[in-house]
Amino acid sequence: MGEFRVHRVRFFNYVPSGIRCVAYNNQSNRLAVSRTDGTVEIYNLSANYFQEKFFPGHESRATEALCWAKGQRLFSAGLNGEIIEYDLQALHIKYSMDAFGGPIWSMTASPSGSQLLIGCEDGSVKLFQITSDKIQFERNFDRQKSRILSLSWHPSGTHIAAGSIDYVSVFDVKSGSATHKMIVDRRYMGVSKRKCIIWGVAFLSDGTVISVDSAGKVQLWDSATGTLVKSHLIANADVQSIAVSDQEDSFVVGTAEGTVFHFQLVSVTSSSNEKQWVRTKPFQHHTHDVRAVAHSPTALISGGTDTHLVIRPLMEKVEVKNYDAALRKITFPHRCLISCSKKRHLLLFQFAHHLELWRLGSTVATGKNGDILPLSKNADHLLQLKTKGPENIISSCISPCGSWIAYSTASRFFLYRLSYEHENISLQKVPKMPAFLRSALQILFSEDSTKLFVASNQGSLHIIQLLEGHFKHLHTFQPRSGTVEAMCLLAVSPDGKWLAASGTSAGVHIYSLKELKAYCTVPAYNFPVTALAIAPNTNNLVIAHSDQQVFEYSIPDKQYTEWSRAIQKQGFHHLWLQRDTPITHISFHPKRPTHILLHDAYMFCIIDKSLPLPNDRTLLYSPVSLTNESDVRRRTAHAFKISKKYKPLLFMELLDERTLVAVERPLDDIIAQLPPPIKKKKFGT
Amino acid sequence: MVQLRPRASCTPASAEAMVDEGQPASEEAAEHGLLLGQPSSGAAAEPLEEDEEGDDEFDDEAPEELTFASAQAEAKEEERRVRETARRDKILLKEKRKRREELFIEQKKRKLLPDAILEKLTTASQISIKKSPGKLKEVNLQKKNEDHEKGNDSKKAKVQKVQSVSQNKSYVALRLKDQDLRDSRQQAAKAFIQNSLYGPGTNRTTVNKFLSLANKRLPVKKAAAQFLSNTWGVQKKQNAKRFKRRWMFRKMKASGRI
Repeated sequence: MGEFRVHRVRFFNYVPSGIRCVAYNNQSNRLAVSRTDGTVEIYNLSANYFQEKFFPGHESRATEALCWAKGQRLFSAGLNGEIIEYDLQALHIKYSMDAFGGPIWSMTASPSGSQLLIGCEDGSVKLFQITSDKIQFERNFDRQKSRILSLSWHPSGTHIAAGSIDYVSVFDVKSGSATHKMIVDRRYMGVSKRKCIIWGVAFLSDGTVISVDSAGKVQLWDSATGTLVKSHLIANADVQSIAVSDQEDSFVVGTAEGTVFHFQLVSVTSSSNEKQWVRTKPFQHHTHDVRAVAHSPTALISGGTDTHLVIRPLMEKVEVKNYDAALRKITFPHRCLISCSKKRHLLLFQFAHHLELWRLGSTVATGKNGDILPLSKNADHLLQLKTKGPENIISSCISPCGSWIAYSTASRFFLYRLSYEHENISLQKVPKMPAFLRSALQILFSEDSTKLFVASNQGSLHIIQLLEGHFKHLHTFQPRSGTVEAMCLLAVSPDGKWLAASGTSAGVHIYSLKELKAYCTVPAYNFPVTALAIAPNTNNLVIAHSDQQVFEYSIPDKQYTEWSRAIQKQGFHHLWLQRDTPITHISFHPKRPTHILLHDAYMFCIIDKSLPLPNDRTLLYSPVSLTNESDVRRRTAHAFKISKKYKPLLFMELLDERTLVAVERPLDDIIAQLPPPIKKKKFGT
Repeated sequence: MVQLRPRASCTPASAEAMVDEGQPASEEAAEHGLLLGQPSSGAAAEPLEEDEEGDDEFDDEAPEELTFASAQAEAKEEERRVRETARRDKILLKEKRKRREELFIEQKKRKLLPDAILEKLTTASQISIKKSPGKLKEVNLQKKNEDHEKGNDSKKAKVQKVQSVSQNKSYVALRLKDQDLRDSRQQAAKAFIQNSLYGPGTNRTTVNKFLSLANKRLPVKKAAAQFLSNTWGVQKKQNAKRFKRRWMFRKMKASGRI
């Protein structure tokens, strides 16, 4: 595949923020993850662990607790003292409510799901009733001396355990008074530490309370007598999180050293009925603190300061030994943070609070395949745009001509006009952007940069005509009546006739831009869409789904193309279907209409529709050692040409016929910018 | 300045009044006193020097003879005049105070937002919506602009603008004091978590050491992170560069002298 000159970009200095909480929902098999910058992400575990929704972060909203209640309702609480409920349909915050107890450290929903319990900085435990559309304060429990850092309900809902500093207290829910106070030993290996912080508690149905603390202990208490039953010293550092399985036969703890320990209830001898908790498996998938763990029926889920979300399936719980039993590590968001101006060779990088505009370097040298060419002109950092206010950027885009930049936050939409004079660049803000454009999930410019398409979280699509220095609102496609499903992916055809949009759940809608009306809907598919693009000339819509299926749909004919039918009939290669990161970008070659270029985080692929499809016996990935081009052609004479040279790959785009730009983000660079890890002694160093 | 003037004119008058009161007790003495006092009381605003001149003349010449009736009439006339001036001063003072008070009230009114907006604000605060500090600043700015407005018409226009903004619910009024308290509590909570995770006694290493340890255990050894990444330790590198330059300069200077 030595056909392209590749700009290998490594200056995208993106650091994902650390994971603070994870909450698993058994009903819908979804996982909510909150990060230190206040972002909340929803992963659909049944749809190949795809990140299907996200709520942008906010500087003042340091989320400390996250929980599901009443089935599908998601609540979070944080250090600003507010409880927030999220609207999972329209992707915005439904309401936020001050709990009047200072910063909130912990929150948990009752086993029935109708009540919410929060632990506050001032030592109060507050009970809220969840009503159909809001939450209502019910009462306070007896106030404790210091902050309540962790909470857990007894599965019957009669008692709760609250972890504080140096002690765990057990409350009676009916009376609201503390029945037991269990003092935790603050000594650590004989040395008295300052204080012992109870980072997590879990209440089991047999009355056992499990506490994890900053002295590195996992302790089991009898809540009826208030006595210590068993203590496991498992780490030299804090044990920061705990999660118990629904069957209460195993639990998982995460430590600051990055180790996750699995505890199981096993019989003492093979014949006896007596069981005890045994530390069975340690997992070291993290380098930094594991701040949050969750226990799904089949997997251990952990996340921490090192920004990875790790899903470790438990082998004994997995029935079929297929690829679902493999470890998943999710580091990068499943959406594009980069946009590109092909004409001016510009890249726009989106960070949480600013945008960066870079001009790619250039070279005059030539070489043969595999050579690294020296740069005659280095890449230029042209512009850094900082947002005002505490809100994170949701989406951003640069127009193909490079003269417009648009971005959106939860409350405002910004459009800038760029003008270039020789080496100078000047920026002018377009004033008075209408308020309905705010919190746009996706922004897209048409190929000729005269139109701007904005997908709002209310499900509507806005079309804005761009004129010299100002704009005109042309049209709004309203969502189908009765649906408020947010639109998150957009694609426009290069001739400007068609617009395709997909929502958070399955379903791609196609609109005609000439007649300004809905044209058709692509037949529904079970898995969410991860990438969309419309091919030039043929107007074929290529859709990638989270289960790695790729469809090609002809818009003028309103049906799937022959090629798409053929590949669906034969099925994709089994190795292709086992790929674990979603396809995030699709593009086309202007001169070769049979080629589709797509990439995920670990590979770049060119699908040549003219070549025969691979079956399961053929080699999907071409061997690296072959350098002779004809040899490669002969050995892998099938449609999928895959390169794994660039990883982790965040963005890949064709600049012109012979030039590609690939944006990589090496993990080492991310580690270098994370907070310091715990010191560990390694043998032989 | 303004306040001092009426008092200056007031004190001589009250002094006269005291003399007047003493008059019925002994008429002669009063007459004498009045005669003595006459030039100064006749024109309260007259400079003192003239007064002294008058005294000098009086000393030089023998006193003129006056009939009792004329003297009495003169004294009465004098008394009336003094009372008149005192009354006039009082009225003047009263009027001045009144004017000032009116001015204060008007100024206060001008500083306040119009009633319509105040009503809007109170209703808005009841509907508790989440606010942001950025928005708040905007509101403050607008208030300031309002203060600077003077023309009645332009003020009206501004009022309408504010109203339209509030209808869009783009801001919410809140008390700054509560926000400060909340911020400080949030800061304290953040400090607690930072201290308990990364504070003294938590056995943390540095990222550099962590990476070098990982490198040591790799089957393929690489160069240290600071040599591979340009962004690493920028400050340290700059300091080293500066030190080297200075050191070379010093050396060259020293060798040049020798």
